Amino acid sequence: MAAFILLGAVTVYSGWRVATAPLVTHAALFLALTFAGVAGVFFLLQADFLAAVQLLLYAGAVMTVVIFAIMLSEMKDIEEPRGRGLLGSLRSPFLGFFPLAGVVLLFAVFLVVYLRAAPALPGTPLPAPADSTAFIAGALFKTYAFPFEVASVLLLAAMIGAIILTRAEGGRGR
Amino acid sequence: MIAAQGIPLVDFLVLGALLFCVGLFAALRRSNAIMILMGIEVMLNAVNINLVAFSRYLPQGADRGQAFAVFVLAVAAAEAAVGLALVIIVSRRRGAIEIEEISDMKG
Repeated sequence: MAAFILLGAVTVYSGWRVATAPLVTHAALFLALTFAGVAGVFFLLQADFLAAVQLLLYAGAVMTVVIFAIMLSEMKDIEEPRGRGLLGSLRSPFLGFFPLAGVVLLFAVFLVVYLRAAPALPGTPLPAPADSTAFIAGALFKTYAFPFEVASVLLLAAMIGAIILTRAEGGRGR
Repeated sequence: MIAAQGIPLVDFLVLGALLFCVGLFAALRRSNAIMILMGIEVMLNAVNINLVAFSRYLPQGADRGQAFAVFVLAVAAAEAAVGLALVIIVSRRRGAIEIEEISDMKG
């Protein structure tokens, strides 16, 4: 339980800093910490394959892409214009107060729904599969073989799309 | 021993909801396109926490939850690639990635 509280606190705090850090690069580093915290939660849930993939793909690959995007996009100043901290931004309604109020309301709704349902939800996890990699592979290649192929086509299309979008604009001709 | 033994399912759901709300707040509050994409990534991660927690606690969802978490990962990777490519090309053409300054679609 202590490990869960610690991981949850680190994850939510760094997620909060993603929303509030004044510098874009700091927000990106806190995003990496959020991903690592979520990987820790997966470890806690004994989903070790997903935890490893989370670290490799999110904390590794997605973070690299985000940092490259920050470096390559010509930001005039890397600081958010309204970087006067959270309290200062609350004065502007559409970028401070309404989002915060809406999100707090949404969380309250989540909490009410979950706490009402809590007595019916299980309190202890199922016995963990002996080999979680084989467990996921069985699901992906048997039951969900078709969605798996669709996902691979989606990734290929996204990769080609990203290359076509960002290719150098100097030498025009296709 | 690190395991979820003494933790009820609802705790993971509350953590997922909290992280989702924080990510939504990041996406709504920021005016910088890269920051908005980062908020969306946090929201997708929160969804994954829920999926994996369901897969470990409910017998009906045993393999389903983790398989769908893998699909969410794939979609998030595709979204990051295309979204950030768009950010780079918009910043190259207009010199700005503040979404208020990108209000007309024809470039």
